[in-house]
Amino acid sequence: MSVAAVVTVSVLDGPLPAHVPSALGEGVGAVVLFEGVVRGSEGDRTIDALEYEVYEPMASRELGLLASELLATHGVLAMHVWHSCGRVPVGQCSFRLEVWSAHRVEGLRATDEFIHRMKRDVPIWKRAVESAG
Amino acid sequence: MTREATAYTAVMEVQVRLFGPSADALGAAHVTVRVEGEVTCLSLRKALGRDIPALTPYLDAGRFAVNHAFARESQRIRPGDEVALIAMVSGG
Repeated sequence: MSVAAVVTVSVLDGPLPAHVPSALGEGVGAVVLFEGVVRGSEGDRTIDALEYEVYEPMASRELGLLASELLATHGVLAMHVWHSCGRVPVGQCSFRLEVWSAHRVEGLRATDEFIHRMKRDVPIWKRAVESAG
Repeated sequence: MTREATAYTAVMEVQVRLFGPSADALGAAHVTVRVEGEVTCLSLRKALGRDIPALTPYLDAGRFAVNHAFARESQRIRPGDEVALIAMVSGG
């Protein structure tokens, strides 16, 4: 079974649920999984959470356009994107990218470029929620 | 009877949605500005900079989206369009 090139985008309220691996096709030789987790500090401040503001439907559209572009330019087989909106406590996952490719090199490159450009172009903002103490 | 021609300059009020640091700085989720003549992203940018100086750093760093898509500076804005200032994003 070969894998058709595919992009999926999901924007979910709150922390992302635990990752569930997908069934892979024969063409896939590498899976790159990146998860962004909320740190307990922002600079020298201790925080409780990050609050994500997501401009929809533009954010989902831009995530999908970016993934589709990189799918073509890097020759990867699939890009699956999840991003949180709203409040995500420290230690919880707020962003996940899963890239399927035939070989590791294109998967790693696509992952790095996706994250770099998402942080530059996609209309999502985060605010730190500082600890009360 | 002689009639004198009167020149009228069209004026349009444009509401611009704000997010993140720009919304925090202005204390508002949107601003409204009057733009004379042909309304494009460029003329909107100039009107916002002139009327709302506090927005200047976000205008310098940002792009406009019209109806949920990034727009060129030459893009015309029509009544009913949803306009947003996209600046200093920080997802991930």
